[in-house]
Amino acid sequence: MRTSTGAQSRESPEQRVGRLAARLRNHKLWDSLLIFLPPLLVATYLAVYLYNFAWIAPMTFYLLSGAMLGVGLLAVVVRTRRLIPSVPVAARLVDEKTAAKDRFLTLATIDVALWPGAFVERLRSEAAAFLERIDLRQEFPYRIKRSFYWSFLFSLIAATLFHLSVPLTGSTRHQAPAYDTLSEVAAKIAKRPPLSALAHELSTLAMKLQDPKLAEQEKQTLIHKVLEQVETRQRKEHEKESRALLSEASSTLQGLEQQSAQGQQKDTEKGDGGAQSKPSQQGQGEGKQGQDGGDSRGELNAERSKDRQQGQNTQNGPQEQGKEKNQQSQGDRKDNKPDPSNKSDKDTGKELTGKTPGGAQERLGRSRSEEIPQSTPPAERFYKPGEEGKEGVKGARYVTVQLPEELAADTKGEGGSSKPSKETRVFPKTPVSNAPLPAHVPEAPMEKQQLPLEYRGIIR
Amino acid sequence: MEPEKFQQVFRRLEAEVRKVIVGHDDVIRQVLIAFFAGGHVLLEGVPGLGKTLLVKSLSHVLGVSFKRIQFTPDLMPSDIVGTEVLTEANGRREFQFKKGPIFAHVVLADEINRATPKTQSAVLEAMEEKQVTVFGESHALASPFIVLATQNPIELEGTYPLPEAQLDRFFFKLMVAPPSPVELREILKRTTGAETGDAGKVLPDDGGKLIGQMQQLLRQVLIAPPIEDYVVRIVHATQPNLMNGNGATSPVKQYLRFGSSPRGAQAVILGAKGNALADGRIHVSYEDVAKVIYPALRHRIILNFQAEAENVSTDEILAEVVKQVPRAA
Repeated sequence: MRTSTGAQSRESPEQRVGRLAARLRNHKLWDSLLIFLPPLLVATYLAVYLYNFAWIAPMTFYLLSGAMLGVGLLAVVVRTRRLIPSVPVAARLVDEKTAAKDRFLTLATIDVALWPGAFVERLRSEAAAFLERIDLRQEFPYRIKRSFYWSFLFSLIAATLFHLSVPLTGSTRHQAPAYDTLSEVAAKIAKRPPLSALAHELSTLAMKLQDPKLAEQEKQTLIHKVLEQVETRQRKEHEKESRALLSEASSTLQGLEQQSAQGQQKDTEKGDGGAQSKPSQQGQGEGKQGQDGGDSRGELNAERSKDRQQGQNTQNGPQEQGKEKNQQSQGDRKDNKPDPSNKSDKDTGKELTGKTPGGAQERLGRSRSEEIPQSTPPAERFYKPGEEGKEGVKGARYVTVQLPEELAADTKGEGGSSKPSKETRVFPKTPVSNAPLPAHVPEAPMEKQQLPLEYRGIIR
Repeated sequence: MEPEKFQQVFRRLEAEVRKVIVGHDDVIRQVLIAFFAGGHVLLEGVPGLGKTLLVKSLSHVLGVSFKRIQFTPDLMPSDIVGTEVLTEANGRREFQFKKGPIFAHVVLADEINRATPKTQSAVLEAMEEKQVTVFGESHALASPFIVLATQNPIELEGTYPLPEAQLDRFFFKLMVAPPSPVELREILKRTTGAETGDAGKVLPDDGGKLIGQMQQLLRQVLIAPPIEDYVVRIVHATQPNLMNGNGATSPVKQYLRFGSSPRGAQAVILGAKGNALADGRIHVSYEDVAKVIYPALRHRIILNFQAEAENVSTDEILAEVVKQVPRAA
């Protein structure tokens, strides 16, 4: 026990007990705040994070932040009120510290009017003598409870888990900024009176695209219509700045179109296997140009340039690809001619659909896996090489695969003669398909397409 | 009266009684507390432990009248309360009330369980109302008035256990334990030597007024509401048949037939006040309550057959109750 000083010794026992009760109340308040602060901070951080990456709308962010703050404050108040020490409890603590034999408890709790005044005064003076033995700051210092450390630890773990799980779902994060970009571009174009109608179209489109009820296919149609308008206008426009603006709008729309196609592709993949999804994804790998974006957007541009390069290689590099080419690859080459006006998305659509008459939906990256009859066994989805389907081989969905042994024989100069029954068929050195493949690099190791064993007999 | 005066007198009384009685300090103190609280005491112990001597010494140091009643099966109520006898004075015959031993300030009811229930019940009204009624006429008892009853726990043949109603009227039930070897040696020294100890009078012959003031002072001792709540919860926890089942602990439900009456709570509070005053304090602490819980409640809780069969005592159950009921609500 320690001797208290100056101001403390002048206060009455009841005041000392009241001061201790207030101090303990503050301790409990701090305890509650420290317990609920880390989760609240983490939740706020997550909300800001989601807001920054536009996973949630501003209004949702504000509502969420407000709700979290409200819940946190409510939890603090409820917990503090529940644990708040009463005056008798504080008095008992003083009694224990000073060995006052419940003098402070009696003084703090009795109704003075009901008891003899002389007795109460005497008890007060007795208790005052015990006040010298206690200093509240030293006897009742605030100590951080273990619950805070647990709360901090769990909050840290939650934040870490969130960060680990975010990249898994990161592919959808760029959708909203593209809409914002479109709105911004529309606002820029609107400043030029001749283009105000087009600006209105763009802003209307941006609003419509944010409607979650709108199907991906409808989005694609809308985007494509506006894109055509923009391109038409771009051709007619002579002013340089307007052309630049229209070009920006065009690239933004292309990016949106790409995103929409990816969304549709994902929906299709859910019902489809993984066998055909990869080529179609590669076919849709054409992204917009000149639009700001994250890493994945850069990857998309890189894939797109690869595709374009492959198309050129397929068209211009017969020496590189060998002398043997089938008719199918030639047909593809015709479709893969690069457009001088940089209409890479159209190229992509043609690559995807082969020689099928290109409707608008097919050109917009409609997945081939959509057309595969899901009810039939996997082996029946493919026509045998050389066999014509209902619409001819060229229209059918197939992948020409060079088996490892054939590839080896081909390398030794025996290619094409491995199967006497199919002498007319010529195998290329590189696998050829009607799906866009990465560009051929002469020095790079040859890409091998894995063939499921169950398909080997069918293809041979 | 000042609390210091109370403490001074109380300590002198204790000291004088201790000159005669070796050991049993708690018993002496609690008898005195019960006396100043206006209660009656039941002393239980085997013969030869100085129960009767204690009572005699107490009456002597208090300077009040003392009567002893040896309870036997053939003892009649009139032998206790008194009766009207036909007297002749100046040629006239008339009935005159002859007071019994109950009219003394300190009454020793020795081996009270040997008398018949009819005789025992004669003491009931005297203990509670502090008056007796004979032939339709009430007679007030002396003040202060205390009944100190003794009973022998080993001789059960030919005894009549006190009914619960009568037990409840005793403020404290004190267990007189055998002396320790050191105490026994001191007893031998005092009783077999040439000189025997003798208690002196503490209060004058007209000490009744002072005793009354001390009894009044005891009731003015401060007690905090949380301590009163604690007593209430303790007494409440001894009830095995509560409607809502709250409060009662599992040993209580298992071994008790009836819990303490409100008189138990009154006895605890008054006993704690007396203990506080005896210690020179004018307020009750939890320690005061703890010291009087057992003597105040042990005869007020009624064991069931299972407890009797398993030889479970009321003190064991009270210990469990005290352990399970927290001081802070």
